[in-house]
Amino acid sequence: MFNKTSADLSSVESPEDSRGSEQRLKLRKLSRRIPKGAASIILVLLLCAFFSPWLAPHNPIEQNLGAALKPPFWQGGGTMDHLLGTDNLGRDILSRIIYGARISVIVGFVGVLLAGAVGTLLGIIAGYFGGKIDAVIMRLTDIMLSLPFILIGIAIIGAIGPSLTNVVIVLGITQWVGYTRIIRFEAMSLSKSEFIEMAIISGCKWWRVLLVHILPNVLNSAVVLATLDVGKMIIIEAAFSFLGLGVKPPTATWGGMLADGRLYMTVAWWTVTFPGLAIFATVLAGNLIGDWLRDELDPRHQLKV
Amino acid sequence: MGAYIVRRFLQSLIVILGVIVITFIISRVIGDPVALLLPPEASPEQRAYLTKDLGLDRPLYLQLVVYVGKVMKGDFGHSFRHQESAMKLVWERLPASLYLSFVAVLFAIGVAIPLGIISAIKRGTIIDRIGMTLALFGQSIPAFWAGIMLIFIFAVQLGWLPPSGYGGFKYVILPATTLAFFVSAATARLTRSNVLDALDMDYVRYARLKGVPEFVVITRHVLRNTFITIFNIVALQLGLVIGGAVITEFIFSWPGIGRLSLESIYSRDYPVIQATVVIAALIFVVINLLVDIVYIATDPRVKKN
Amino acid sequence: MKKYLLASIIVCFLFPGWVLAAPKGKLTIAQGTDLTSLDPARHGTTSEMNYDNAVFDKLYIFDVQGNPVPRLAVSHKMINPTTWEFKLRRGIKFHNGDPVTATDVKFSIEHYLDPKTKSPFASFFKIIKEVKIIDDYTIQVTTDKSDPLLQKRFAFQIFILPSKYVKEKGYEHFLKQPIGCGPFKFVEWVRADRLVLEAYEDYWAGPPLIKTVVFRPIPEDTTRLAELQTGMVDIIVNIPPFLVNQLKGQPGIDVQSVPSGRVILLYINTLAPGPLQDKRVRQALNYAVDKKTIIDKVLMGSGFQMAINVPPYDFGYDPALKPYSYDPEKAKKLLAEAGYKDLKVVLNSPSGRYVMDKQVAEAIAGMYEKVGIKVDFKIREWGDYVKDLLGKKLVDTGLIGSGLVMYDADGRLSLYFIKDSAFCYYADPEIEKWIIEARYSMEDKIRKELYSRISKKIFEEAPFVFLYQQQDHWGVSKKVKDFQARGDELFYLYRVSVEK
Repeated sequence: MFNKTSADLSSVESPEDSRGSEQRLKLRKLSRRIPKGAASIILVLLLCAFFSPWLAPHNPIEQNLGAALKPPFWQGGGTMDHLLGTDNLGRDILSRIIYGARISVIVGFVGVLLAGAVGTLLGIIAGYFGGKIDAVIMRLTDIMLSLPFILIGIAIIGAIGPSLTNVVIVLGITQWVGYTRIIRFEAMSLSKSEFIEMAIISGCKWWRVLLVHILPNVLNSAVVLATLDVGKMIIIEAAFSFLGLGVKPPTATWGGMLADGRLYMTVAWWTVTFPGLAIFATVLAGNLIGDWLRDELDPRHQLKV
Repeated sequence: MGAYIVRRFLQSLIVILGVIVITFIISRVIGDPVALLLPPEASPEQRAYLTKDLGLDRPLYLQLVVYVGKVMKGDFGHSFRHQESAMKLVWERLPASLYLSFVAVLFAIGVAIPLGIISAIKRGTIIDRIGMTLALFGQSIPAFWAGIMLIFIFAVQLGWLPPSGYGGFKYVILPATTLAFFVSAATARLTRSNVLDALDMDYVRYARLKGVPEFVVITRHVLRNTFITIFNIVALQLGLVIGGAVITEFIFSWPGIGRLSLESIYSRDYPVIQATVVIAALIFVVINLLVDIVYIATDPRVKKN
Repeated sequence: MKKYLLASIIVCFLFPGWVLAAPKGKLTIAQGTDLTSLDPARHGTTSEMNYDNAVFDKLYIFDVQGNPVPRLAVSHKMINPTTWEFKLRRGIKFHNGDPVTATDVKFSIEHYLDPKTKSPFASFFKIIKEVKIIDDYTIQVTTDKSDPLLQKRFAFQIFILPSKYVKEKGYEHFLKQPIGCGPFKFVEWVRADRLVLEAYEDYWAGPPLIKTVVFRPIPEDTTRLAELQTGMVDIIVNIPPFLVNQLKGQPGIDVQSVPSGRVILLYINTLAPGPLQDKRVRQALNYAVDKKTIIDKVLMGSGFQMAINVPPYDFGYDPALKPYSYDPEKAKKLLAEAGYKDLKVVLNSPSGRYVMDKQVAEAIAGMYEKVGIKVDFKIREWGDYVKDLLGKKLVDTGLIGSGLVMYDADGRLSLYFIKDSAFCYYADPEIEKWIIEARYSMEDKIRKELYSRISKKIFEEAPFVFLYQQQDHWGVSKKVKDFQARGDELFYLYRVSVEK
């Protein structure tokens, strides 16, 4: 599509055009330059999420009150049976972290997908049409940002019950604003570019322009924002758990483990440290990949290696 | 320009109105304040009396109309729980929140902006990596956890600072640091990417070719142009933080509006919920408006179609 | 010279207040919540009542066994079953010097009863029909029906307010500058931050031993603990059980543990049609819970098994009744008998409302799974949960607690078994009849016998899953002397002192 329009024009190549055509070249080189560390963390995360029943040594929700708060195996009192120790109900921490990856994957990826889709869509609409539509969407964004997410969380989860699905819904409803502003900005400058103008002149309908011309070009930024947001979603789930609105027990979630474990922090450090590390590693990996993607996909940065 | 300001001002009013109505509806949906105001032993007559006294027995739309009318006159009603007007409660707590937010943002930009600039200049080196990893760290810990850890380390173990409370400067250090974690992480990364973009600009290359010393290039050209965007970012963060430092205020017993809003949500104290949300929204909208005006005034490239 | 010495010795014995050391030191107490206002009549939580106990006084107070002890009243006499006469102590003054008389007592009682005051506990006093002033230090209280609990009611609430001060300066002024006749005077209140009181040297029983008292509301458990550990705060309430052992080793801090008046149990909704209407199913739910292990492992030993929902503190407690034993086999048998081998049950629980509530509920869910019951576990946000509870919309079962009010079984039982109580999910006309009979009977013996009968039937019918009585832990700095933690979560600071 891009090739066709740029081939038709004999005008000066604008940055947006070169970005479009170089993109496909770069996709091939991508796999060679992925930051290895970050990618392997994500890989481990996905493996844990999909293969938890095979990887986890114990049932994550099985209680064993007699073995509560046992330390990790290298400390006195710990056993090889529970490598990372147990929580206050005697559940194996390692298994709960492995199963917790599922929730993090869903909350992180699906949440981001939902928020990103809504936010990006609204962003390109606002940026392309401008004027009244832009104003309405921007004011909607302002309203969303002004409402405390706790209030919305309690309202929604109070009304439809605490569950993974509902937490993701709340995330989608409250977090889309982060995308809209930035995408709108990009869409605005894109809309003024020559190849979009040509597309309009050549009879392209607005929804086609949006979906076929503008959307793919903002997708870079959207994807970058999304990878950076994955960590944020997990953190927000943790905050919900702290307030008692999170994914319901006994399902293991990293955020929930942090929230519960904070009471035992001074007597059983392992109940918070390991889930905390898991969150940190995931956020780190997500951000590194996001950064790397941004650097890779932005032609301006190609000049400096 | 003048027309633009007026337009934005009117739109801001609409945003506030939208916030008022939505908050009103959400509050009514989430539960019954009378149930929470009376002990379990209260008689049905007591409950009926209180319901009528609080005006909760009238149909919803009527309550909404009456409420909006009062708000127009500046009357946000009387708290259900406290014997005080809702607005007075918010006013009392606002200075504490403003104080905390300003200090937090100061901490954040004091650390984040230099970090972002240095990382951008030294892009790709180990300094960049360390800087961005530190920033990431700030983004990957939930606020409640950071706060509790800081109390544990600096108050209990080291005894350098008081664990909580409101008073002189030493009381604000830990809560401000907790808040600053997230703000500085975002600010550092955005600063870095903005500075990177600026460094690639033609005028920078031109200045370098002219032989202008690097230091001048950075301060005069790069910073001046990124200042607007960074100012934009920081102002927005400030707006968000003022109303949103809920969990931090809770943990540090900081008497701000964040904690007030949390307590009022839990006790379904509608007038106070509404007052806190509206005030926080007002602050946010005003800051937003100012930022947009400043942005337009100084950057004529970005005008609406 | 000798004459003066003798005179001073005599004076010292006659007026010990002159000899006692002047109040000194500062005591800082951290509780979980702040006051909602400075009017005692509007208070509904024990943390607020602790401020009331310092600044105001009542006609009676409860001793640690739950007996009402004269305070501002010196004696009471029954004129007839619905009329009581109370004689007041003389020489008591409010903080502004005004004397405390019968006018103030009548004023205070009427203030609590006035619907405009919106006192949360008004329903406890609606049995009072009239208060008559006989003379400056005598009042007569007439009740609708015979009331064996009148002194207990006055030990529970009705802090005596200054009628002249309120009438002259106005109620609004009283809300900003309250005065009472308690051992401490109000100084200042910074909402959500601190409440400061100072010793009232002319208190009728002699000045208190502490000069300044500060209340700090600190909602986060771990922060409260940190404040105690750093010495910034002298007394904290509600230490989670698993932290108690840690504190026990710490120099400078004492942990006081008392059985609480708070009883935790699982509601069962027997009003909605379903398996829970079958007594055998409910008994099975009781047999399936290993209370001892929950107390030992989840509560770290901080709890006492309960046979029904009336703890030893309450009058009417029947020590002969023993709790349900842990018998999973019997539970399975009962379920099979009733035809519900694959029972599915919803278990609701609040989170953070009671000590370890969520964890206890989770443990119970695990135990139910072991006997073949499928549990749908739901964590409920408190406001939402209460809304359901009051609307009789609670599904299946839910964790709930009830606190100590008047040291009497009537309160506990009425709450759950009288049909129009908002918290009643179990209908039994016979139990209801007995409760009402016991409520108005003036004979302790008759009441005890009735409560015994009621207890046995409740045990048998198992309208709840009976769990445990809590144990409260208070953290007290070793600097504090003579502080006594109580099962009703209240404290009295009059005899407490702080050393440097």
